[in-house]
Amino acid sequence: MEKHQTHSVTTADYADPKVDQLLKHTVRNQLESLLKAKLTTAQRQQALTQSFTEAMTLIFSTTQATHAQLSAAFEAMYEQAVQSMTQAQLSEELLTRQYISPTGLIMSPINCRHTIKDIYRIQGYVKGIDKAVRGMLSHKKSLTILYPACGPFAPLLLPLLSYYKEQHAFNGEQIKVLFVDTHPGAIVSLRQLISDLQLGEFVADIIEEDATTYEPQESIDLLVLEAMQHGFTREGQLAIAKHLVKFLAMDGWMIPHSVSIKGMMVHGETEFNQQWKDAEYCHSGHLQESALQERVELGELMRIDKSALLQMQELALEDGVRVVAANTITLPTGVEDMPERILAVYAQITTFDGEGLDQYDSGITHPKPDMSFYVDAKPRELDHMHFVANSGDTVQFYYQLSGMPGFVPVKV
Amino acid sequence: MESKYALFSGSCLCLAAVQYLLQRGQLGCVVLVEAEPNPDLVQLQQFLHHHQIPMLQYKTESDDALIAELDRLGVNSGLVYLFRHKVRSKLIDYFAGRFLNIHPSALPDYRGPMPVFWQLKEGAETIRLTLHEVTEQLDGGAIATHIDLPVHPFDTSQCLHQKIAQMVPALLEQFTQQQAAGTLTWQAQSEDIEVDGERCEPRYAAFVQVDDLLIDWQRHTSSEIVNLARAANAELGGARFKFREGMLQLMQASSMDCQLTGIKPGTVLELDRVKGLLVKTKDGAVRLDTVLTEQGIFDGYRFAILFGLEPGLAVAPTSSARM
Repeated sequence: MEKHQTHSVTTADYADPKVDQLLKHTVRNQLESLLKAKLTTAQRQQALTQSFTEAMTLIFSTTQATHAQLSAAFEAMYEQAVQSMTQAQLSEELLTRQYISPTGLIMSPINCRHTIKDIYRIQGYVKGIDKAVRGMLSHKKSLTILYPACGPFAPLLLPLLSYYKEQHAFNGEQIKVLFVDTHPGAIVSLRQLISDLQLGEFVADIIEEDATTYEPQESIDLLVLEAMQHGFTREGQLAIAKHLVKFLAMDGWMIPHSVSIKGMMVHGETEFNQQWKDAEYCHSGHLQESALQERVELGELMRIDKSALLQMQELALEDGVRVVAANTITLPTGVEDMPERILAVYAQITTFDGEGLDQYDSGITHPKPDMSFYVDAKPRELDHMHFVANSGDTVQFYYQLSGMPGFVPVKV
Repeated sequence: MESKYALFSGSCLCLAAVQYLLQRGQLGCVVLVEAEPNPDLVQLQQFLHHHQIPMLQYKTESDDALIAELDRLGVNSGLVYLFRHKVRSKLIDYFAGRFLNIHPSALPDYRGPMPVFWQLKEGAETIRLTLHEVTEQLDGGAIATHIDLPVHPFDTSQCLHQKIAQMVPALLEQFTQQQAAGTLTWQAQSEDIEVDGERCEPRYAAFVQVDDLLIDWQRHTSSEIVNLARAANAELGGARFKFREGMLQLMQASSMDCQLTGIKPGTVLELDRVKGLLVKTKDGAVRLDTVLTEQGIFDGYRFAILFGLEPGLAVAPTSSARM
């Protein structure tokens, strides 16, 4: 049952929020345009909904939209979403509180707001979710989606739901969403945005709770997981996935369907600077062949999908850190310039049925350099944070489920 | 023979001692340090001038003129407190065993010019104010008497210097009474000290270098960081920590509990308007209470917001020199 009710507005109800000073400074451009336009609340909500549906229309267009078109549409969506956030009148405390929980980073609403501009992340997810929804609703009357760690804008679902509503594709009888986030500021913003988008019919519940301990009462058909950063680090994506996957229905799906995390030894300058100096923006479509040739791929460090998560066993180390075993790789031999190379970890994400994101398409698939991993080289000053190995060594990777999740290599 | 003192000092912190000796009619003069005028010294000179207390100037090149002046004033005893020069044997001989120094440590531990800083840095809970004979060995003469002073957990070096200054009259009174009662015993300093039941070399309180003020997030515990910041607050400008290309000054920090595991020391744990800015240490966490930057003095929260330091980031990240 929907718990959050949209409040009725009148056309004389102007959008003139009492905004916290810090947010006012941070989003002053968006606020200026809001105030200059002198929109009524109804007009602002209409502009917001329009920006969301236009971005989705471009994504689902049969003709390929250009990057410039997508950028403009997503920027408009971002600006409108931020204006909605200002209406929520969050206090400075709620806006800026950011912390590391025992299972990962909990970002502040003010820092989360940019994810709605991550074009190719949203594109890869939305297309995958759309295929999954259509597939399920072809043989079911309704489905329940669980979206943990959804943040203040729930960017992987709210644009799609706006699009469905505008297109009369699906309604609240067919799709119900459980939104979960542990940050009270995210919950306040999310309620405002859902209210402004008038998507209340799709809401099963909005729950302020830690996604790693939340236990849904209903069976989940789709589990949408976005909480991750590059190199599969920082946020508690694996802990959330591992906990919630068991609430999926027998025929339920996880979005992303699979995540493959790979390692490679690269020349940092080529990989992260030279390769991109003439590129308009970072994207897998702009990878330089010469840079690809220069890489030394180490293979897959870890694969995450529904069955892997269900089988995953945790190990507790002496210092209380919990880990799960990932893959074992053998460091290649015969690479003369290995000492000059650094490890970079990247993700390839299949959201659903051929849709997904490749390396560099988004912040979450951007390769992450690991400066503490040395092969055939020694750090200037060795400390316990450094990993030192030689070509030909076998390395077992573990994934640490702590407040700062990430890979831990161990020599076998 | 009634003692008539020359008080050797260069700081207004000696004024409690000046007033004590004045009240007892035992102050012959004040011998000032040889230094460029600074606000503290100028204020001391003004006070002495106002109260018509004779001032003599210490000269590093020779003691002859000073000794002549001391003799002219009929001074027969010396008291050294917050005096930066090492006195020479000629002057020591002049006082013939009536030359005393006030040193804030349990001698022979922490001999040297910066005993308060080093003891606070080590988390001392008590500081001993020792009255001892001046000899050619710096801070090495026989001990006459002492008073122990409890250290408040929030005390900075500056706080302690002021508290110590207020205790000086009590130390001198104790000395005078023991002398009068015939209970004063001069105790030679031992060559070693006892720490946790073991004999070891006394620690030396050297002049503080910038490297001594540097926080090592990998090595320092929470209490070591807290103590370093307060030991260096305010005269030394606080503890230093690397931040991006520069060095910032931490004037105050607080130790916090942290049960999180698997997080590198130096990682920002939390940013909250009420709770502040929390950074992981090897054994817990510290809250950065007051940070001094070129742009101003901020609490940790405002510093982090202004400088873009977020939870999950390292205060001093690993060098990207390998890129």
